[in-house]
Formats: sequence, C-alpha cells, structure tokens
Amino acid sequence: MLIDINTYIGHWPFRQLRNNAAQGLLSLMDKYGIDMAAVSSLNAVFYKDTQEGNLELIEEIKDNKDRFIPFAVINPKYAAWEKDFRYCVEKLGMKGLELYPYYHNYDLTEPEPVELIRLAGEMNIPVHLPCAIVNVRQRHWMDTNDNLDLGQVEKLLSLCPDTDFIISNGPSHINAQQLKNASEGRRGRVYYDFASVEVFTLRSSATDFETLVKYAGIDHIVFGSVMPFQYGDPQFVRLAYAGLSEEDMEKVTSGNLKRLFRL
Amino acid sequence: MINYTEILKEEKMKLFKENKVVNWHEHIWDDGSGKLNEELCDCFVEAARKAYMDVVVCSLPVSGGEPDPDTIKRKNDVIAQAMDRHPGFIKGLAFVNPGYSREAVAEIERCVNELGMIGIKLYNQYFISDPVLHPVIEKCIELDIPILEHAGKLRSLPNVQPFLSDGTHFAKVAEKYPDAVIIMAHIGGGGDWQWQLKAIADYPNIYTDISGSVYDEGIIEQTVHYLGAERVLFGTDGSFSQGIGKLLAANIPEKDKIEILNNTKFARYLERGAK
Repeated sequence: MLIDINTYIGHWPFRQLRNNAAQGLLSLMDKYGIDMAAVSSLNAVFYKDTQEGNLELIEEIKDNKDRFIPFAVINPKYAAWEKDFRYCVEKLGMKGLELYPYYHNYDLTEPEPVELIRLAGEMNIPVHLPCAIVNVRQRHWMDTNDNLDLGQVEKLLSLCPDTDFIISNGPSHINAQQLKNASEGRRGRVYYDFASVEVFTLRSSATDFETLVKYAGIDHIVFGSVMPFQYGDPQFVRLAYAGLSEEDMEKVTSGNLKRLFRL
Repeated sequence: MINYTEILKEEKMKLFKENKVVNWHEHIWDDGSGKLNEELCDCFVEAARKAYMDVVVCSLPVSGGEPDPDTIKRKNDVIAQAMDRHPGFIKGLAFVNPGYSREAVAEIERCVNELGMIGIKLYNQYFISDPVLHPVIEKCIELDIPILEHAGKLRSLPNVQPFLSDGTHFAKVAEKYPDAVIIMAHIGGGGDWQWQLKAIADYPNIYTDISGSVYDEGIIEQTVHYLGAERVLFGTDGSFSQGIGKLLAANIPEKDKIEILNNTKFARYLERGAK
C-alpha cells in the first residue's frame, strides 16, 4: 500500500498545471500505484476566504472519498477561522489542517495560529506545514518570496506539545536535525517527507536520507509527491535506491501514515 | 495497485542500464587543504556507477568573489587528480575567471593540452555576454571545446548573484559567437526555467543540461519542445534522484531520452584527453 501526504487540487495562478482536478490526480495516483493521497485545495490558498476552497475540494472529491484524505486550508488571521475549522472536521470529515503562513502573512507563534494548532491537537487532527509549494527561486513576481520559517516551527513545537505535525517539501534531513531537540518530550509527533532528500552518496559518505533517518527516525518518515506540481518518478528513484528493508519500506510508504490517520 | 518502485528499478532504469550515460554537470570536492578529497570522490563514483552512469564530467568552480589565478590552478589540479584516480570515468572541465584574461587563456591551454580536460566551466563572476570574456570564448572556439556556464533567472530576493547570466545574456553571446559551443547550465537549478528556455530557443549553439534540484512536471517536455533533444544534455549537479527521475518521468520519445543521455554532438569531446 502507498499513501501520499502531499498533493493538490485546484488552480495555480503562476504556471499552467496539468492533472490538477480530481480525475487528473487520480490518473497520476493510478500510474504510480498510490492508493490514497492527502489532498488540499490550491484555490483555498489564494482565496481571501479559504473556506470557499475547502468546500470546492470536498465537492471535487465526493465520488472518490476512498482515495483522498482531505486537508483543510485555514487562515487563522481571517474571520471565523475556528468555526470554519470545526465545520471542516465535524461536518465535512476533513482529516488534516494545512497552514500557509508565508502566503497568509502571519507568524506561526502568534496567538491565533497557536490557538488553532492547539485545537487541532485536541481534536487529533494533524497539522501539515509544507515548506513551500514551488521553489522560491523560480517564483512569479507576484508570488511569495518566503518559505516556511523553521525557527517559528521550533517554537511552535513547545507551544503546542500535543499536536502532530507533518513538515514536507523541504530539506527534511536538515529540518529534522534542527528540530530534533524541540521534537523530544512531546506527546505529538513530527513527520517528514523526503521530496527534497538525496539517497545517493554525492557530497558526504552518508546520504541525506540516512541523515533524515538518524534525526527523525524511520517511524516518522512519510511519502509525499507534491503532485501535480512535480514529476512522481524522483520519489520512486529514492525509494528504489534508499536501501530500505522490507519492514522500513512498509513504514515509509504507508505504515507511518496509517498510524497517524488511524486507518 | 502496481508497485511502481519495482517497475522503476527493474524496468524503467533499463534506459540508463542499456544506454551510454554521460553526465555533463557534476562537481568533485577538495579536502580543504587543496588536495582531492579521495574518500568523497570514491563515494561519488560508486554512486554514479550504481546509477549506471558511464562518464561524469566534473569541475570545481569558485562560486564567489574574484578568485586569483593561483587559487584556480589548485582547483583545476584537484579535478586532474580525480581524472587520474578514475580514468575514463571522470572527465574534467577547467574553471577559469575571465577577469584575469591572459591567465585564464593560459590556464585553459594548460588544462586542455597538459591535463587532458575537455572543456571549461565558468561561474558568476561576469555575465557571459561581457566583453571581458571574448578572449576566453575565442580560445574555446580555437580549441573546439565546450563552455559550461553557471546560469539562472533567479526570482527570489535579495539577488545574491548580481552577475548571474540568464538566457538573454546567452542569446547575446550566441549572436556574436555562433561557432562557440555553450551550455547554459542546470535548467532545473536556475530559477525561472520557462524564461531561460524561451530566451535561448532561437540560438542553435546554446545548449542546456537538465541538472538541478527542480523537477517540475513538464520541465523536460518544454526543454525538448523549445530546444530539441539534440540541444539537451544529461546532468545532475548534486541531485541524482531528481536528474534521473525527471528524465524517466518525461513524456518524450525514448529516442530523445537516449540522445539526452549521450548527446551525439558532444561525443567528440569525450574522446579527448583519454587516460
């Protein structure tokens, strides 16, 4: 079984995307043998009222509920964020919360995001923090110039000790090292994907993937493709050449996320 | 559901296993004292062989400031040590700073004629269209060797590479020197790759390599659309998984992938400096 933690449906204003509706994404998932994918609404990132995008997403995936794990994009600096979040979880059945502080212009340690993230912890809803949507070096001139601020995340881990986090689409081997101390002694867990992690020995005798395992632990590494923005194959090159045992492969491809989502 | 990891390893990687693979963009590092870091070099070669690469073209550029001729010589000597350690597998590009015009030309001659290197590497000390490069480019035309120039249209702020060449700089130099063979480096590592491709599309002596950490869906298809596979080279620049994966994933004909893996227009360079 293969579960993907990081996919999108919706329009991207800055470059043409293919396969960015439910059927297109499903075709990619089928091509790569992905059974289930956590998915969020790109439209929600850009609408002033993110809830409109969340509702669109639920409508878009309604015929394939068994394949998608919907994540709610919430802006905690916008009116009625708590009501919207509760509605997403309790009425729409959304399984995760996804935050974009670098698009919605706030610091994760401000009171509202901390309150929202604590609430997610109380509700057993994991919080997904993508480091970026696209590489900032190629950003459109109207797009954000910032990535996820790991210093804010480091503080957040102690401010919200009961919340599970997934940190994706960044240099996870470096991030896991920086967040190792802050991740310890919490009830909530911290997961990382390996979408930007090398599995070959190019600039060190240890691979970046081995560094990620060292600092995050194999029980906290998950598969994330960033489709439809990125090709799927590089993730499978990593899986093919990471040298994982059968048991560890099962954890990385599905076991860790099954545990997180109680599947 | 299929097991794509197995399919990739057992079937898709045949593309690499069964065809000659020439990686035109990689680096080898020194040990901090000016000598080749042999352990890292060997790890790198082992990784490249594991990925079925047959030849890896390496350089050791100085990525900031105005490196002087002595510093540059030491860097190029490290590449020569790597070539000696893995003959035939590692091929070298000579790094030079065009700001030291006379010394740069002399260093190109030394590296090509004495050390057996097969081209040159330029970094971001000057735009490639700057007249200060003219003696260097003319020497490369005379020796019939390619120029690999660090490149990008970076959109992130602040701009930390003020003299980074983008596609429009390559277009200008192509107009002045249509006989030069110039590779605009890492289409997947230089920011706005759509800008880069559109800027060089009409200049047949400007090539690109596919290296860089970016593997946006469509990047290879668009590169081949704008340039044709005959103007595209395989490369990784520190990102094996991405470089291999994006070529495997691309929706282009198999023959184009094979051409990218071993660009026939560049085959003649590989015969030189054989050790």
